[in-house]
Amino acid sequence: MHDSNEDRLNRLKEGDFITARICRLDPSIDKAPYFETYRVPYVKWMRVLDVLIHISEGLCVEYAHRWYCGVKKCGTCAVRVNGRETLSCWEPAQPDMVIEPLRHLPVVRDLIVDREPYERKVMELRPLLMRTQPYPGLPEYITDREMRAASYAMDCINCMACYSACPVLDLGTETNFSGPAPLVQLAQVALDPRDGLDRSSLIEHTASISECVSCYRCEEVCPAEIPIVSRVIEPLKALAFAISPANKKHQAAFLEIVRDRGRIDPSALVLKTQGLRALLSPVRALRLWMKGKISPSKTFLGWTIPGVEQVRRLFSAVKGA
Amino acid sequence: MKFAYYPGCSAQSTCKELNASLLVVAEKLGLELTEYASASCTGSREIRAVRPELFLALNARIMAMAERDNLPLMTVCNTCTLNFLDTQKRLEEDPEAKDRVNEVLKAEGLRYRGKCRVTHFLWMLLDDIGAERLRHMVVRPLKGLKLAAFYGCHIVRPPAHFQFFDSRNARSIETINSILGCESIDYSGRTECCGFHTAAANEKVAIKLTGRHIKSAKDGGAQAMVTPCPLCHTVLDTFQREMEREVKQKLNVPVLHLPQLVGLALGLAPEQLQLDRHMVPVALPL
Repeated sequence: MHDSNEDRLNRLKEGDFITARICRLDPSIDKAPYFETYRVPYVKWMRVLDVLIHISEGLCVEYAHRWYCGVKKCGTCAVRVNGRETLSCWEPAQPDMVIEPLRHLPVVRDLIVDREPYERKVMELRPLLMRTQPYPGLPEYITDREMRAASYAMDCINCMACYSACPVLDLGTETNFSGPAPLVQLAQVALDPRDGLDRSSLIEHTASISECVSCYRCEEVCPAEIPIVSRVIEPLKALAFAISPANKKHQAAFLEIVRDRGRIDPSALVLKTQGLRALLSPVRALRLWMKGKISPSKTFLGWTIPGVEQVRRLFSAVKGA
Repeated sequence: MKFAYYPGCSAQSTCKELNASLLVVAEKLGLELTEYASASCTGSREIRAVRPELFLALNARIMAMAERDNLPLMTVCNTCTLNFLDTQKRLEEDPEAKDRVNEVLKAEGLRYRGKCRVTHFLWMLLDDIGAERLRHMVVRPLKGLKLAAFYGCHIVRPPAHFQFFDSRNARSIETINSILGCESIDYSGRTECCGFHTAAANEKVAIKLTGRHIKSAKDGGAQAMVTPCPLCHTVLDTFQREMEREVKQKLNVPVLHLPQLVGLALGLAPEQLQLDRHMVPVALPL
């Protein structure tokens, strides 16, 4: 049987102790982070934030953590609890917790991270509305329907939980991917119908949006429940593709293959996307061919599914995006 | 038990052994499958992002075929599963888009109603066959085999939809492993991403991310991995050599498709399950 956090908390009585292993680091003194364990008396409905306050106001007064509103608005108290990003003000305490700072940002002290790298990335993406039409003055006529696309991103509270959860950012300097949080800031203006700036290069190159792996880890941790992949990242990809399809070679190749053949031929996709670079590993291609994983005859003779004309008809009948 | 079966692109190209093993396992399980030769790609992540309306039409068309035959639709690919489920949700929320899609499907005599049950082979095993029946069908328990379940993303996320709650709590593959008689190990990569969706353009991200997951499985004592997704399989199996250079360790962890694992326990021969078609040779301590 699954033993949920709620079940485990229900077995605790007021005054029982819960255990918090907190991550400590003062970069001016410590070479590496280390953990300290504290036992905190349980109070019904206790939050992670209450545990942290109990520790920093009594058991370990030099313990540093950041919080302000306490009600899921300010986005300053995000931490990792047992490996999962969460707002400490909104997360029920657990009987056994490991509490760590967010990842992918330098630690100032203990649970406090430096937001500067994130804020720099946001500014590089120029998240300001650039109008093509002069501002008409108040009240500006705009409907909810027109604002729907941008509205999802506007729920962001800048907590950076998604920035910490993103696995691509684990690659550090080996990726140029901006991470989900800066893209959410960008989407607030890029998906606004009043914005007129050509943002395709910002999306494609500055943010390297193609390196998003579509894993939905960002959506899983977002306390504002923003559908980051489907309502932020995908519409931004679509925007960049609409402005300059040539920049999105991979997507253009994918569309072409499905239209022509009905199904994806992976070798054709790799050849079209990577071009000659794909031919640089002939040994690998040979191994794949020997195991029947690629089929050059199908690829080069343009094999199609039966009834492919129906698929082609959809491509021309469905207008626009 | 009757299903419309949608193999998807990978199971018919880079992972033909998945399609082949699924078909023999389905026969063993007593499933009656209807395949649609003219079913297209579901649009993966690419068409989904850049031409969302076309994406809805491609998926609705395949589901309309299953609806016409009054069959639930079973897939073997995580991304295809999510694409079908997402299309259902989008068209339910946006009746105007549903009307536009149906207008386009009319020429083929199809109509999407939104009534089709979409399932994946993994879910079908537990929901339709059921743990008890599956246990009775096992003729060769996979005793002594230590497996690492690799779920992939699109069968456990996004949260709050399709009964996905918290990917950390995913247990279905481990449940099946125990029914089949083998042991599951715990490791850090269980519900992590293989990076497939950036691999066609540049395999760098996939190799760097997934190398760690295989290493974690190997260090945790896994003798093999099992995945319900051909896209994860492609990365785990075909890029393993490159990953060995990345993690500076010999990995050599065979990766099984879920139907192949089930097939072994149901008494099917390795040749029938095409275990010889993997890049990392499948040598199991059975």
